[in-house]
Amino acid sequence: MLRLPVLLMPKFLSFRNSVNKGVVLRRLPFMLIGLVFAALLYIGAYKVLYYIRDIEFIGEALSKKLLSMVLFSLTGFLLLSNIITAISSFYLSRDIPFLLTLPLKRKEILALKTYETVVNSSWMVASFVPPVFLAYGVSYAAPPGYYLITLIALILFMLLTSATGITIAHVMTRLFPAKGMRDMLLFISLVLFLVVYFMLRASAPGDAGRPEELLSAILSFRAESPLLPNYWVLETVWESLGRRPFDALYPMALLSSAAFFLVLSFAAGVAFYGKNLEAVRPKTGGRTTAGIYPGMGHALLYKDFKVFVRDTGQWSQLLIIGALLLVYVYNFKSFPVEAVMKVTPLIREIIVLINMLMAGLVLSAVSARFVYSSVSLEGQAFWVIRSSPISMGRFLWGKFSYGFLPLCLITTALVFLTNLVMDVRGILMFASIATVILLSLSISGLGTGLGAMYPKFNYENIASVSMSLGGMVFMSLAFGVVALTVLLEAWPFYMYYKTGGIMWPATAVSVILMLALNFAAFYLPMRMGIKKLNRLE
Amino acid sequence: MIRLENISRAFDGKWAVKGLSLEIPEGEIFGLLGPNGAGKTTIMRMMTGILQPTGGKIFIAGHDAAKEPVEAKSVTGYVPDRPFFYEKLTGKEFLIFIASIHRMKKEDAMRRIEGLTGLVDIKAVEDELIEGYSQGMKQRLLFASALVHEPKVILIDEPFVGLDPIGVLLIRDIIKDLASGGATILLATHSLQMASELCHRVGLINKGVLTAVKSRAEVSSAEGGLAALFLKEVSGRPSGEGR
Repeated sequence: MLRLPVLLMPKFLSFRNSVNKGVVLRRLPFMLIGLVFAALLYIGAYKVLYYIRDIEFIGEALSKKLLSMVLFSLTGFLLLSNIITAISSFYLSRDIPFLLTLPLKRKEILALKTYETVVNSSWMVASFVPPVFLAYGVSYAAPPGYYLITLIALILFMLLTSATGITIAHVMTRLFPAKGMRDMLLFISLVLFLVVYFMLRASAPGDAGRPEELLSAILSFRAESPLLPNYWVLETVWESLGRRPFDALYPMALLSSAAFFLVLSFAAGVAFYGKNLEAVRPKTGGRTTAGIYPGMGHALLYKDFKVFVRDTGQWSQLLIIGALLLVYVYNFKSFPVEAVMKVTPLIREIIVLINMLMAGLVLSAVSARFVYSSVSLEGQAFWVIRSSPISMGRFLWGKFSYGFLPLCLITTALVFLTNLVMDVRGILMFASIATVILLSLSISGLGTGLGAMYPKFNYENIASVSMSLGGMVFMSLAFGVVALTVLLEAWPFYMYYKTGGIMWPATAVSVILMLALNFAAFYLPMRMGIKKLNRLE
Repeated sequence: MIRLENISRAFDGKWAVKGLSLEIPEGEIFGLLGPNGAGKTTIMRMMTGILQPTGGKIFIAGHDAAKEPVEAKSVTGYVPDRPFFYEKLTGKEFLIFIASIHRMKKEDAMRRIEGLTGLVDIKAVEDELIEGYSQGMKQRLLFASALVHEPKVILIDEPFVGLDPIGVLLIRDIIKDLASGGATILLATHSLQMASELCHRVGLINKGVLTAVKSRAEVSSAEGGLAALFLKEVSGRPSGEGR
């Protein structure tokens, strides 16, 4: 008999022991921020649906397409997140040597690690997605059954992606034992790149000049193959919305596949886990020549870079980011701007604003993984920094520049390229580039500062840091800063098109407010972070 | 060289160290002895700036550790009780990182690292990732990292953990040589034999209070040696009782 509850007891007891009145009170403001964010997400999703469903002729198709794209993105995100979390959980986490010394059956360890993988890789999605489905339910005045069916469908969807990710992790570790995790993940990233590349080519829209061509261009997005689980969720949800007579085919496909892949992941674990554990043990004897002498100015950067490149648990997260960026660029590339302009003339300006919003959200997600985690990354070796002749201010500003420079480069390039694809030039190009540079600065400061205020040095794997409560608070605040900045930027555009000329006072106020907001988001957390590090024990 | 003035530290209202004063001159090896939880590591961690004292002052080579922390740390080498490293760096890269943080010139640093890896006998593994090191190798690397910047003050918490007999003798000789060269060493250990052999003076600490300070001459003239003194001061009973 599996003793999973017994194995989970230390986690439960640790949680219970760490929760007291003081902790709850300290965390209450952050929980409220999370709730406010969920409420804003719901309102935003509802408004978008309200607007889209109102568009003549293609409204309903667009609404379903939007849900399809959300689920498609979630599939990619969850699958990659699960592969990486499974590798960390099953093979790299610190409790494995201890677990192996206990009188446990292999299946019990596999069950525990499966549980950890499911929870760690899915909880962020599980926290952020419900407002979107709630908005669909309210917008379509769905029957009560919709909420229950959607909940079950999403749970099955997450179990299915987790089980698939775990199976892939076991098989890949078995296939690439000698060369190690790095080669394995390079292989996965190559396969992923090829899959997405061919999908993009297959679904590239043609010349959508007339409304019927526009519709066919939008519908040509092949995110929904009947063989993919996101399609089953889409159809299940759509049916339960009352848009179509209920058919048990897709819910059953979800249920049976989730069960099948869970069994498969267990079978793969039973077959490969023991040998794989032997294969992934730290190697001795491999030699690496020490490179340059960094000096005081670059010592931290040099160390962080070396650790990053060699730590599979860290750089493999780039795959998630890469997938996110591909989905992002694809969404813009596939959007028929010229065709839609015939229906809505302001579409280019709206798209530029949405582009900045999306880039800001991608920036926040990337920052959660790399910038927010950067202080915690020191781990239990933080004593080295504390006992070294380096001030906490210098340390934290070093961490800031380590995150800011690459982030700024990536997001600026992203916005520049998507603008070029959409033929955006002149003042619009300038404004969007300036905005993402400003956002890179503020989000990097926010992430570094909050990461210092809520460090987690004793982590099982670094991915769990960005998924902690502090990480969620950072994501919510970062999303808030991005959304407010874009709203402030949209205001002068709105006034321009309302009055037909540039409203200088409105523009000046908007720019001043944007600068003030972003400066506060950048500077205050950094100051508070330095203070916290100075007091940290 | 080291001056502790009435330092105290409380955790959640409980005293881990209380009203401790001590002065250790240049070139002396001072041993801190006490049972588990006596406050030895807390004293070390306050001296390195990892913990802040609840009260009192710490001076290291004339620098007030609270007012001039960077200066105080610049002249201090620290060997903690648990060897946590950046496991994805090689031993040599870790030493280069420490030298860089201490603003050493490249030529001086590389020369020093070359000498130290030879001294602690890790040259054969210096280009391997630390994650592959044995516990003894990590302990040797820890010593090398504490000595890279030629500190005037060296704080060593449990120096012989995980070392094989050859390693123990090697580290013992290094500590002796460092003191002969003028370094001031504060050593926290459970090894009474090593403390007797190495330390010019020993301080006995119990429940955060320094109960006695004995010179080497006092220790060797005491009946039953350091073990008897330890039992008397720490458990309040003479040696042999309670066996």
